[in-house]
Amino acid sequence: MSWNEFVYFAIASLLLWSLGSVLLYTKKSPVAAIVSIIGGIIVFAAFIAGLWAGQGHPPLRTMGETRLWYSFFIAIVGFVTYLHWKYKWIMAYSVVVSGVFVFVNLLKPEIHTTNLMPALQSPWFVPHVTVYILSYALLGAATIASFIAIRELKKGEQRLMPLIDNLVYIGLGFLMMGMLMGALWAKEAWGDFWSWDPKEVWAFITAAAYLVYIHARLINYKLKYLLWLLPIAFILLMITWIGVNYLPAAQGSIHVY
Amino acid sequence: MAGKSERKRKVALEEIVMISAVMIAGFALQFFSGPFDKRFLAFPVNVILIAMLLLIFFMKKGGGLSRMASGSLSVTLLAAMTIAALWMGLVPGNMVKISWPFVLLYLLVLVNLTAIIALKIKSFSVGQIPFMLNHAGLLILLLAAGPGSADKARYFMTVAEGTTEWRGEPSGSREGANVVELPIAVELKDFSMEEYPPRLGIVDKTTGEAMPAGKPLFYESVVGASFFIDRWEIAVDSVLDKYRYAPAAYVRVKETGSGELNEGWVSCGNYFQHFKILDLDDRLCVAMTFPEPKAYRSEVKVFTPDGDVKNGIIEVNSPMTMKSWKIYQFSYDTQKGRDSEHSIFELVYDPWVIPSYIGFILMLFGAVTLFWKGGRR
Repeated sequence: MSWNEFVYFAIASLLLWSLGSVLLYTKKSPVAAIVSIIGGIIVFAAFIAGLWAGQGHPPLRTMGETRLWYSFFIAIVGFVTYLHWKYKWIMAYSVVVSGVFVFVNLLKPEIHTTNLMPALQSPWFVPHVTVYILSYALLGAATIASFIAIRELKKGEQRLMPLIDNLVYIGLGFLMMGMLMGALWAKEAWGDFWSWDPKEVWAFITAAAYLVYIHARLINYKLKYLLWLLPIAFILLMITWIGVNYLPAAQGSIHVY
Repeated sequence: MAGKSERKRKVALEEIVMISAVMIAGFALQFFSGPFDKRFLAFPVNVILIAMLLLIFFMKKGGGLSRMASGSLSVTLLAAMTIAALWMGLVPGNMVKISWPFVLLYLLVLVNLTAIIALKIKSFSVGQIPFMLNHAGLLILLLAAGPGSADKARYFMTVAEGTTEWRGEPSGSREGANVVELPIAVELKDFSMEEYPPRLGIVDKTTGEAMPAGKPLFYESVVGASFFIDRWEIAVDSVLDKYRYAPAAYVRVKETGSGELNEGWVSCGNYFQHFKILDLDDRLCVAMTFPEPKAYRSEVKVFTPDGDVKNGIIEVNSPMTMKSWKIYQFSYDTQKGRDSEHSIFELVYDPWVIPSYIGFILMLFGAVTLFWKGGRR
């Protein structure tokens, strides 16, 4: 199997996942939805297995291949999180994020031939990047929820606070995993866990901002002010993800690509 | 209730004043004595510092300990850390990480973190395991990677194939570029390298720019490859890849408009051979890029004076560990590429590596508890 067949498997998986998400909202019993989602996961896994066999090496080398894994993992984690927390929208949200990565792969296939430099050829590469993207997705959802909560707060309602706190905790959990795995990888690659590379500095800023939120929540800071921290933290996160490459202080970063 | 929140506000205010005072002291130190020299923390200072922090565990539950462990102090310190890191991330060429204010802030975080762990451990319950994993893991990591890292030393070592080397050139914070003898020796049995196939493109000889201008295309030079660049169809007939000789490809080029044919050898050249291009007209030619490294590795035997011996392969992302040393594949003779007859290693001595890994393992489990438990209190 090769990338030529990707479009069929990807579309089939996305359709099954979308169908499953719709069924979650429309049907009383979640069984049909769960079957549909698992079916999509099997189809996607079959493509990865086929690609692996076809290439003769695990598809972990190119940027396109890492995006393939994001699409796969995001759907699985969305599903597992749904099973655990019963948030239907997290499943739907994961399918959308997964779909974005599938379409990037379909529309920019030339990236498949990019040579992967030796420093990036590590088993840490995929999990390090994947959990980060997943955490960005969760914290993005928390940001959207925070805007709604800020509006509702004026009417004295705090309906969304448990949801927001859950999203921030789960998102931070993945963010910490990404950071810790990155540090372990850095140690294997060049002997330092942490070297304050610009991307690392911004990852630290992002994590610290969310830690401020979590700790301030624990000692019951006024929500009127505290909720604004989430959009601010998300801006910092976006700088970490996308903006760092353009900062004057970030020239010479090992993370520029 | 009103009285309580009034008191909370007073405490938070005192904490902000205290942190500001420490920061001002830091700026004063910075002004008068220059940046913080990390070597000051080298053994035994770092161990003494850790022992002093651990004394916090013997403090009685009460006023002093609760003040040091206060949650509002944590929030203020985290906010201060965020601001310091923002400075680090926004101001080009800053020295925040070795500045006195930052070092003192780091110290305050250590005190606050130790105190909250000491306080919670006095009334430990199973429900506090996630808290402990996250906070004790972080404390261990901050100690091992902070003051502990002052004991770290890095050296570069160049070893020729078939020889043994034990002298290294210190790098980083350790002073001087004098070669020193190390308690570890490396014998290089073989250095080997794999390369990606070099790429072919069409280049404007007058400007050096690759075609199509602004959006250049390059294709791998492998037998049987056939591709279009602008109005030329290029087919790779055969390739050569031999020891010492530069990679070369025999290509046939057809101009799709006129049907004009060109063929010949193209090579990127190397330390031994000159490069070769195939002219298409007065201005344009087919040229080959240098091959990019795919993987390089050194087969080594490592010794210590105590008689420890270890055989193995060192490559990028796969160092060799020998007691508190880790040996990394750093570089090679880049002029000769795959024919390099020596390998350059980076040797890192870090006696704190085991505590660091303990901290990591605790924090990884802590992260799992975060997304398993969510925001439930």
